[in-house]
Order: sequence, then C-alpha cells, then structure tokens
Amino acid sequence: MSDQKTPRKSALGEVKGHIDALATGFKYFVDPHRMTLDYPAEAMELPKNYRGFFRLIDEKCIGCSLCEIVCPSNAIVMMQLPVAQPPAPKAGAQGSQQAGAQPAPRPAPRVKKRPLVDWGMCIFCYFCVDVCPTEAFEPSNIHDLSYFEESEYRPTFEGFLKLPESPSRNSRKVVARLDEKNGIRYEEKGDKE
Amino acid sequence: MTQEIKTVPFTYEALSQLEMKEGILELQIGPAHAGSGHMRILAWVEGDTVVKVDPDVGFVHRGVEKLSEDRLYIKAIPIVERPSLVDTVNANLGYVIALERLLGLEPPPRAQYIRVITAEISRIMSHLYGIAIYGIFMGSSTVFMWAVADREPFIDLLQELTGARITYSHIIPGGVRWDLPKGFADKVEVALRYLENRMKDYEKVWINNPVVMARSVGVGKLSSQDAIRLGVVGPNLRASGVKYDVRKNDPYAAYADFDFEVPTFKEGDSYSRLLIRVEEIKQSMSIIRQALKRLPEGKVIYEDYYKRMSPLMKEIYDKTGRVKFTLMLTSLSPPKGEAISRVEGGRGEMFYYLVSDGGKNPYRFRLVTPSFRNLPYFTHVMPGHKLADIPVIYGSIDYFPPEADR
Repeated sequence: MSDQKTPRKSALGEVKGHIDALATGFKYFVDPHRMTLDYPAEAMELPKNYRGFFRLIDEKCIGCSLCEIVCPSNAIVMMQLPVAQPPAPKAGAQGSQQAGAQPAPRPAPRVKKRPLVDWGMCIFCYFCVDVCPTEAFEPSNIHDLSYFEESEYRPTFEGFLKLPESPSRNSRKVVARLDEKNGIRYEEKGDKE
Repeated sequence: MTQEIKTVPFTYEALSQLEMKEGILELQIGPAHAGSGHMRILAWVEGDTVVKVDPDVGFVHRGVEKLSEDRLYIKAIPIVERPSLVDTVNANLGYVIALERLLGLEPPPRAQYIRVITAEISRIMSHLYGIAIYGIFMGSSTVFMWAVADREPFIDLLQELTGARITYSHIIPGGVRWDLPKGFADKVEVALRYLENRMKDYEKVWINNPVVMARSVGVGKLSSQDAIRLGVVGPNLRASGVKYDVRKNDPYAAYADFDFEVPTFKEGDSYSRLLIRVEEIKQSMSIIRQALKRLPEGKVIYEDYYKRMSPLMKEIYDKTGRVKFTLMLTSLSPPKGEAISRVEGGRGEMFYYLVSDGGKNPYRFRLVTPSFRNLPYFTHVMPGHKLADIPVIYGSIDYFPPEADR
C-alpha cells in the first residue's frame, strides 16, 4: 500500500523548516525569475499555428456554408453578395481542386454566398478553418486587436478579406525559451527562427 | 478526529430556529469573490466557532447541458471545456469518450497516447492551480504567483501542439485534431525537469514550511468512511485514504498500458490534500514520460475516417498532421441509445451521460463535475472549526465554482 502519513516535525525540524523557507525566499530575492512581458512595447512571437484571426480567400471559397454549420458560437453568417462578373473561370478553378468532380457548366449565379465572422462572438476553436474543404480561410497568429470606434469593429466583407492589423505589429518581438533551471526567459527573436 | 461535528438538520425550520438562537451570527461570505470565487458561503458562527455552513452555488451556471442539447454533437466540444477552464483536456476527453461509445468508434493507439499525454499535462496544470489557490487562501501570494507562473511552460507546450492557450478543443471523436509536432518530447522533458527542480523550492517555501503545517495539519479532517458516504471524489477522496482513481479502476484511453501509483494519505486533513496534489504531479510526470517513450506510430484519426477524406485533406494531414473535418464528422448522428463515460479530471471523477434519439443533436446530455461532488466539505467538514479555518478548508479542496455550476 502506498498509504502515506503526512510528516510530523520535531522542534529542530521546525527551526530547519523556517530557515529553509527564508533561505529560499532570499535566493529568489537575489535572483528573481520574473517572466513579465512589457506588452505592448515588447510582444511575444507566437507559434505559427497559433489560433488567431483569419481571413477569407475569396477566390477559394465555394460558398458551401459548412463553416456556418459547424461554428459552435454561431459567429459565422453566410452573406449573399451580388456577383459582378460572370464567374465561369472561377467555378472551373474551384472544381479542379475538388475531388475530381468537374461541375457541368451552369448558368452563372447572380449571387454568391460568403461567410462573415463576428470577432466579438468567435471563440477561435478553428472548427471552420478545419472544416473548409478548399482551405479558403487563411489563418494567422495575430491574437490582439484594438479599435478606437465601434464602427471600425463592425464586421464587413471587405474587412474579412484582409488580416486585421495587430496593435503590437511594430513591437519588439521576443520568443519564450524554457530553461530547466531558470524557467521561461524571453529572448530577442534570433535570425535562425 | 477529536472534534465532534455539530450537525444541524438541513431544513428551513431548523435554519430559522438557528437564526433565532441567541448568540448565533449569520455571515455571508461572497458572492462577489470575497475569497470565495463566485459563490456564497453562508456561515453561522457562535463566537468564533462555525456551527453551520451552507454553500450557495449556482451563481455562474451557464447551462452547459442544455446548450449542448441544442447543437450538433461536435459543437458541444468547446462548450464542455468551458466549465473547468484549468482542466480542459480532461473535460473534452470525457465527452468525446461518451460520444465514441455511442458511435462505436475506437481511436487508434497513437491518438490514445496523445490523449493521455495532453490529459496528464492538463492534470499537472490543474494541480498547480489547486496549490496556487490553496496558497492565496492562506494568504501567501508567493506560492500563488509561483504556481500560476509554473503553469506557463505547460500552457506553452499545449499551445505549440494545439494553437490555443487554454481551450484546446483538441480531442474529437475518433482521434485528435493535431499530431505531436517535431521535437515535442524534448520540450516536454525540459518542462518536466524544470518543474521537478522547482518542486524542491516549493517544498522548502511552502509545503514543509512550519507555518503552513501549523495552519493546516489536522484542519478539515474527513475520515475515509465519511468520504465514501458523502461521495467526495478525486484527490480529496484519496487524501482521506480511499484508493480510488478512475484511471486505475475503470481505465480509459491508454491508461491501462502505464505503470503508475495511486498515492493516498491516511489523515484526510487539509495538509494531506495539499500533499496528494504534489504526489499526483509526480505520478503524472511519470505517465507522460512513459507515454512519450512508447508513443506508437500511425495515424491520429481512425482509418475509416482517413479514407473518406478528400485528396486535399489527405495531403494536409500527411504534410502537417492536422486533421481536417469531413462532412461525416460535422453531421454525426449516432444510433439510438445511451452511453456513459467517466474520466479522472484534475479535481476528480467527471461523469458524462449522453442519450441519442438518432438525430443530429444529443437528446439528453448530463455532466456531473467533481467540484459539485466535493460540496460536502462545506456542509459536513467546516462546522466545528474556527471561522478562520474556512479559507484553509476551502482552499484545500480545490473547489472551482464554474465547474460545480456548469
């Protein structure tokens, strides 16, 4: 049995316990392992696969609505957009990426369905990115976003076609490195990255 | 235990009699996070002694069960993660196991191993958070800051694997969403060694500190018979000397393959509830090392699913190890029936019950969380102690209100 008893301390053990605690406290007083990041003056370089904001690649989207169906927080709505030009060559380009099935030429549709994400509702689970059969969402590791006015925040289709600008894009980029002695240290992003 | 618990029958008549009794003061602790964390503790004190405690829960009820019943099966994965944000992998795993039992799926061994690795990393994070909460409740912000900061290397590990810091949504029916990246094992080893080094300092500053021992040894004792009778779960149950761990008693994922101990303590007091978390972190480290050493080759999603992927999806999986969702996964409709699953979360046994009527949404989903089952510590253990012992007992049971309220 691994039934253990909690240790009891003698009077001498108590003195040792106090001294140990104080000594360790002093050790960290002299050499503190601070891991505070001076954001936004410096910002952490996140891994490439970090689930941040993403954009829609209009040419790749086939308007299948799967992203809307799979969105757990109902942040995606499919919009109906008028088609300006005859979309015949685009439909062909889409079809060749699909599993072999070349769609028969149909009369050009008047509207196209395109998703729109409300970032206020998005939980960044990336179900939509993973469900998209044509990889029409381009993910990024941008995770921070700020606006001055509410009107800037409102989701628009044009806004969804480009990645948002991160407020920390001009900050000094650091990477977190883990050391088995000192814990996480932030280092300047080296050239080898 | 020497103190006899004064039991007051839990009825409104008894309560009103208690209030009228002379010299008894009703105290309301919370619910505005006055060291209680989005819950209210109603305590009746006679002088300095607690006579009765009534935990008032439900302030952060979010309706996880009903929200899940309104959606596709796969959409419930991010929802079930939300109640226990410091232990999301285990919450996700339990739901997916129940769903897989409904569907009759068996994930490949590599996926099972990855599930074990992430679940144990999540357990380490949960226990570190538990130690942190215990520290701050006893007035030590040092250990709180240390333990929360020491979760960071593990958050970074899972961030590298899944791309999110806390809500990973990593486990899906039939496997996992991302294969382990290259060099993951080495990074895990560095993080584990760092925590091992750090644990020595924790022992000196916090665990073996005579101040902590004076404050918590013998406080909040629960005997093993009472622990079984009241149905408490998880590390708290094991701290009372009951050797019960779902990972051993009802192995799920790949836990049957690993060699690990279920540490128990005899005393069942607050101090042993702190020690059990330290011991379990050591066991989790051992499981992670074994799993990384014996990690099987193969796919992280079951074979039939891979076959149904489109060529583009297959190409992405082969190149990056990222599993794309097919239409099949988004529109799961399990056959009529019901399934249960239980997993050992960081705070104890999580229980899931799923009923399918053959449709696309769950007909009924039930989630029993360990924090809720640890509520008897308030009603049965706190009375008889001093008022100042309430934070000590509360901190030691690692109670997490959003998890209890679901």
